[in-house]
Amino acid sequence: MNPQLGAALAAEEAAIYAYGLIGVHLEGRGDVTEARTVEQAHRNRRDYLVSRLSQLRASAAPSPAGYQLPFEVTDRASALKLAIHVEDGVAQAWRPVLPVTTGNDRITALAAMTEAAVRATRWRRLAAVSPVTLPFPGRPTTP
Amino acid sequence: MYSIVLTGAVRRRLLGTAAASALAGSALAGCGLFDDEPAPPEPADPLQPLLDEAMALAASYDRAIAAQPGLASRLTPLGDDHRAHVAELTLVIGKTPPSVAPSASVGAPAETVASLREAEQAAQKSAVALCRAAVPERAALIGSIAACRATHAEALR
Repeated sequence: MNPQLGAALAAEEAAIYAYGLIGVHLEGRGDVTEARTVEQAHRNRRDYLVSRLSQLRASAAPSPAGYQLPFEVTDRASALKLAIHVEDGVAQAWRPVLPVTTGNDRITALAAMTEAAVRATRWRRLAAVSPVTLPFPGRPTTP
Repeated sequence: MYSIVLTGAVRRRLLGTAAASALAGSALAGCGLFDDEPAPPEPADPLQPLLDEAMALAASYDRAIAAQPGLASRLTPLGDDHRAHVAELTLVIGKTPPSVAPSASVGAPAETVASLREAEQAAQKSAVALCRAAVPERAALIGSIAACRATHAEALR
């Protein structure tokens, strides 16, 4: 379970980093409030993972100082695109936790994956991307 | 002190009684009283309820679109997601899919966006419960279906 939790932690760390950048390029009070709420949600998931890994006496790799972005973020459109990309990635990182956990741990992982998928849908709607849903959130998409 | 050691004779007598009742039981079962009972059905796959829900949801979207064609562009992709679930679950369960939609869809009440949303939320809940109880090799698929239903509820807000 530890490698999967470690990968989920890395995805949550990356999301926290990305939302710092996304927030700068969003306009309108609604967008900005949403981005702040979402960033806090990712921080909570990160804290959960850090404490769970510490209970399991597993060490997590330190988070990198910076990240290579998949594309340049210069305006609202590219910020929303990054938000969608980040949430899809978080859902994909949590999905492998499901088979290696049971009971409440699995339900927590499913809740984290589901929330990421729901946020991705919300960002797709704000970005006017269609369709706003994926049939299998968390399943890696073939590029 | 009461001794719990049985003598050979007592033990033989007790065993004889047990054997006799076992015989009586089988005689009763063989006497034709229960001949009408069908053979016990093959136990349903634990994923069957998830498949039934996916089929019912897909049919609900079809009815909603038929009633309000203006909603087609918004609702069609959501119905397609459920059809993708039906295809995948059918594959995993390993049986041929029924060729018709469940009969419950005939004469069912008109669907609204609100009733679809409620159905998605209920279906998400049952998928979460199934995911919790699932064997590891099925947990990810059920989890994705649960998450998808949650995104549908969000899309219908």
